Amino acid sequence: MSEITELTHCGPSLCVKFFEHYVFAAYGPLLKIYEYKTGKVVNTCRVLKKNKVHGISIGKSGNILAYGARSVSVFPMSEALKKESVQKYENITTEWITSSEFDYTEKNIYMLTCYNKILVYNLESKSIAIKAVPGERSILYSGSIKVFSDDKAYAVAGTVMNGVIIWDLITEKMFHNLTGHEGAIFNVILSDDGKLIASCSDDRSIKLWDFTTGQELTTGWGHTARIWYLKFFDNDRKLISVSEDCTCRVWSVSRSSTGKIELVQENIIEAHQIKNVWGVDVQESENIAVTSGNDGRIRVIDLAPVSRYGNELQSFSLNELSIKHGIKMEKGEMFKGFQPFKFGLIAATSLGKILMFDQISNSWSLLMTDSRLTSYSIFHGIKEENIAVIANNKSELLVLKLSEDGKTIIKESKLHYDNLSKTINCLVTKFDEKSLFILLESPNPNDQLQGLQLSNNTLEIINEYTFTKPKNFTTSSVAIIENLLIIGSRFSTVGIYSLTKEQKECYLIKGINEGDNITSTTFISKLPNALIFSVTSRDGYYNFIKIHISKTFEIAKHEIIYSNKVARGFLEGSFIDENDDFIIYGFKSSLFYLYNETKCYELASQLCGGAHRQWNFEEFNDYFMLVFIQSSTLHIRRINKLKFPHTLSDGLHGREIRDITIRSSKSYKNGYLFCTGSEDTGIRLSYFDITTNEINTYWFERQHVSGLQTCSFISNNLMISTSAREELFLWKLNTDTEDRPYMNLLQHLPTSMDTPDLRIMDFSVKFIEETVDFVLATIYSDSTIKIWYYNSDENKFKLIIGGRYETCCLTNANFVTLNQKLYCVVTPTDGYIVVYNITEAIQFELSESNTLVNNEKDLTQTALPMYETRIRVHQSGIKSMDTQVLDNTLKVYTTGDDNAIGLTIFKLDTSTKKLEGITNSFIERANASTITSCSLFNNNSKLLTTSVDQIVKIYDISNDQLDLINERYTTIADTGSCDTIDLSDGSSRLLIGGVGFSLWKWTQ
Amino acid sequence: MGKSSKDKRDVYYRKAKELGYRARSAFKLLQLNEQFHFLDDPNLKRVVDLCAAPGSWSQVLSKTMFKGIKESEVTEDDERKIVAVDLQPMSPIDHVTRLQADITHPRTLNKILELFNNSKADFVCSDGAPDVTGLHDLDEYVQQQLIMSALQLTTCILKEGGIFVAKIFRGRDINLLYTQLGYLFEQVICAKPRSSRGTSLEAFIVCIGYIPPKGWQPKLDENISVQEFFQGLKTDSKNQPRVIERYYEEERNIAEFMSCGGLQSFDSDATYHYDVVAALSDVSLDPVQSPTSPAYKKDS
Ligand SMILES: C[S@@+](CC[C@H](N)C(=O)[O-])C[C@H]1O[C@@H](n2cnc3c(N)ncnc32)[C@H](O)[C@@H]1O
Repeated sequence: MSEITELTHCGPSLCVKFFEHYVFAAYGPLLKIYEYKTGKVVNTCRVLKKNKVHGISIGKSGNILAYGARSVSVFPMSEALKKESVQKYENITTEWITSSEFDYTEKNIYMLTCYNKILVYNLESKSIAIKAVPGERSILYSGSIKVFSDDKAYAVAGTVMNGVIIWDLITEKMFHNLTGHEGAIFNVILSDDGKLIASCSDDRSIKLWDFTTGQELTTGWGHTARIWYLKFFDNDRKLISVSEDCTCRVWSVSRSSTGKIELVQENIIEAHQIKNVWGVDVQESENIAVTSGNDGRIRVIDLAPVSRYGNELQSFSLNELSIKHGIKMEKGEMFKGFQPFKFGLIAATSLGKILMFDQISNSWSLLMTDSRLTSYSIFHGIKEENIAVIANNKSELLVLKLSEDGKTIIKESKLHYDNLSKTINCLVTKFDEKSLFILLESPNPNDQLQGLQLSNNTLEIINEYTFTKPKNFTTSSVAIIENLLIIGSRFSTVGIYSLTKEQKECYLIKGINEGDNITSTTFISKLPNALIFSVTSRDGYYNFIKIHISKTFEIAKHEIIYSNKVARGFLEGSFIDENDDFIIYGFKSSLFYLYNETKCYELASQLCGGAHRQWNFEEFNDYFMLVFIQSSTLHIRRINKLKFPHTLSDGLHGREIRDITIRSSKSYKNGYLFCTGSEDTGIRLSYFDITTNEINTYWFERQHVSGLQTCSFISNNLMISTSAREELFLWKLNTDTEDRPYMNLLQHLPTSMDTPDLRIMDFSVKFIEETVDFVLATIYSDSTIKIWYYNSDENKFKLIIGGRYETCCLTNANFVTLNQKLYCVVTPTDGYIVVYNITEAIQFELSESNTLVNNEKDLTQTALPMYETRIRVHQSGIKSMDTQVLDNTLKVYTTGDDNAIGLTIFKLDTSTKKLEGITNSFIERANASTITSCSLFNNNSKLLTTSVDQIVKIYDISNDQLDLINERYTTIADTGSCDTIDLSDGSSRLLIGGVGFSLWKWTQ
Repeated sequence: MGKSSKDKRDVYYRKAKELGYRARSAFKLLQLNEQFHFLDDPNLKRVVDLCAAPGSWSQVLSKTMFKGIKESEVTEDDERKIVAVDLQPMSPIDHVTRLQADITHPRTLNKILELFNNSKADFVCSDGAPDVTGLHDLDEYVQQQLIMSALQLTTCILKEGGIFVAKIFRGRDINLLYTQLGYLFEQVICAKPRSSRGTSLEAFIVCIGYIPPKGWQPKLDENISVQEFFQGLKTDSKNQPRVIERYYEEERNIAEFMSCGGLQSFDSDATYHYDVVAALSDVSLDPVQSPTSPAYKKDS
């Protein structure tokens, strides 16, 4: 008997709840329990058989109540924390459960159904009473129950059409039918003191109502899409809301002097990706919230990002410094530059005053004055060494080394650099453990770049350098990595110099992206003969560059192994954090942002007026410091690092996964790499571990502009993805380094029009023997079939065959070789399997072993021949296809929109010398809905299918028949994609995608 | 919001404009009729179009039932009548009586019955769809409840042997609906017109031959939910589900699937080029021949 085991699931989470030091999160029918302080998963427990958990309530008696769809269950927390399943407690009722709560004794359960009835039942699953108010029984989307005492409990129900019905569920008396919203009500709740009602709706607003009078008190606007869930906290003084717009918002319920109640939006947190935050809860003692979303992420949110410690944001004007701190300032004197240090900050004014800010005592003091720095200065420093470097435009420098507490100048060095008469830029970086490096640039383009190496202790010059400056090179960033000086320039250009070599020639990497300033360079990792560093570009691009270096630090070549663009404004810098996540920062409109690019969420943001100002940003042990000038005032923002993990679960895609591909030809670490392409237009490169079953995502590729159609690895290191607008991208995977895999866009396929609106529905690849060149078939939504040749040396696609099937959309394509012929098997939406024999049309030869051989012919474009054969198998569109060639026969497995699955076998007809097919096995009602994907596995002896009815099936096909051997329900809605891999132990892994993602194990 | 350019490129959208239909949905009903011929019955008299706005199905009904007859030419004793119901207002259509009402509301039934002088209808269709939330299970449930509301109304108004057609989304629990419908109709088919996008879960149930169970008296009551209305429908009354029970697997049946609209009709998933559209625009959407049956059927 074969068996399927669920290993890992990631998908929409509809509700979350804090309890003591735990977070309970619903994942489909499962409950996942975390310790929020560490992020540790305590247990994953099955609560319901099929239905998704929509809500949970935790009683004082140690029982948990969970409900979803028509299911409800009460089970002991002790079991939930330990057991694999508590499904035996599941009950089913006749109507959708909108909300459920324990009664006051916790011996009975109240259930509000979508027809505005309360079912009361006891812990033995006996129905006790049905409560209702007279009136129409039209459907509800939302509602809640609030229990105050034994004889006081209310139901609040939101209707589809504007109304909120409030009734006493014990006396069955209706209090109010509140109208005022437009459209369906998605949540309605009572405050803990029972005085306020809060409701939210389709109309994107939150309304507060007076419970006693039913009067509408106020409306809160702010969300830009529908609002799903509300919760009062802080003694009903605050309200938190989550929405379709991906945000979580905090509102204060404030009473004005006239007694008027108002909802004031206090904080907006972009918590999830693309769409829909479903659940939220608040842990008041920690001042944190937890949210759950459609992307499967469980996010922990700091509710007091600027008020937890009281030192988060401080502002100082120079005027204030004169009055409060006794430092006399002149009229018109301004801040000119600053550098954060552990003790606080060093700043320079336009009159050369050097000021110190002590962040423990919050006091300022004047350290010294250097009149040379009047009017113009550039400020840098090495924060680890307490060294500040200030330069003017006359090649004069002031270098200061400060004591630990910043209060005394230990060393001071005034330098004049004679080689340059003027400087327009001065950049500073760490040279090695003992010294720092200063780079000076002259405004004269013919002047060379000058470098100074200074001792950290004595501030004395250890070495001087001169570097040839390339044409059109203007310095914008500097870093020293392993004896290499890497200088970022304007026009997206980087210059690299070897510091150990006599000749300071530049290795130039020009125009990496479109052409803005390089804002930072960061060391990433080291290989025996190569280095990887990342560069950020002001316009939002970031790149990982690998440079191959010899022992003598000769740069042989470079390769851009990763390139991506952030979706938000200006990009100023990046670093890798302690979890190996790639963190970026910069400006978007009037905000400064700090963003986790690996996991795709914002860590912090600060209103500052935008990018065009003086600013500085540094990381320290448990906080970041952002300093900026706005309206001549200096602002210091301390971004304290959250004590807890920011996410308990990272989540995957915000929308449906359209295709999955495993890099099955080669393992990675202790598992496999795989890509998921989603309707959210992104591709994620992830990894699953075959022992721990953990999933780890490395990158989110944003290059596609429309929802993904397909993605598939075609070799060890090449992957192809397609989407609408005729997008077909060829990606190169790089797994040379230990740190992380990289995947870079190598080439895209030429489109037929400037503004293409065709969809590339599928493709197939056949490699040319002993090369990395390949032939590619692409099929389109207008019935076009194209065959291309990809030349890897030139990195070019060339169209070699083109034609059209009919007018209907094509859905799948596969190359197969059989009897020294090359066929392209295509399925359209008309239900046929269509087989093209392109052996003659293609200008490559087929060897005896059925491989393609390049015979160096000149490639010209030819027409697609008429198909050799076709056979109607399905009534309507064929959704997926897999093929297999065995014993001179071609087997084609197809699944259709007609709920059917077919096995069609093609053989060579000896008289006509053509392939002829017959449908050997056909199951008409294989599923209740579209069968969306299929994949052969277990040495091509089994076929996996997925369907929108959420039943995954496995067929044994070894006898040329479709024999059903396993079927299993998946909680993934819109089930639309799968991939499989056979492992060496004889088991297989099945990856299933849709609205969510599951990893299953199949064993014989 | 206007139509996106993608919609404009859609052949059915263009074809609908050309033929004066208010929505491309018209072709769905036309193609269903190509397969089932329910509108071609000369005895078809009273029909109800539920969730009818903007009215393209009503237009199709009007055209097929009154073939070119002007409204003024209809005689007093003509029993033919089309009633179109929607929450939204609809602009007039010849031979169609419009009713702005909620189909889930019990009073709507009485209004329709009044319009038919208490005679039963021969055909009821519903193309209704609620707004979706993105919670697949809730959306599917609400859609099924809307169908059940339409069906509830239908059971009170449809003559024995009558036909019911409704839009469905083939999701997880669709087979529960098939099972329910199986108690009321001789034949339940899941039909997908070629004009309905293959990428959408939309399909239509075609329920042929209404047979109300013996002794079952459908009665609408304000205080009764759709769910309760259909309780007692199961022939085996001992197996009535209790209000709350330990979880059990419910009966699920898969309905027969049928693709409608010949292969020569336009494919709603395809991208058509202007030249192709022009070349094809003479081609009637009605099939010139009956659709060829698939290979697997020929063999058996
Ligand atoms: C897809 S449209 C119908 C299109 C129509 N068949 C045509 O061809 O023009 C769906 C309609 O269902 C209506 N609807 C949804 N719920 C309804 C309800 N409870 N009662 C009446 N109409 C409803 C909506 O107002 C909407 O106009």
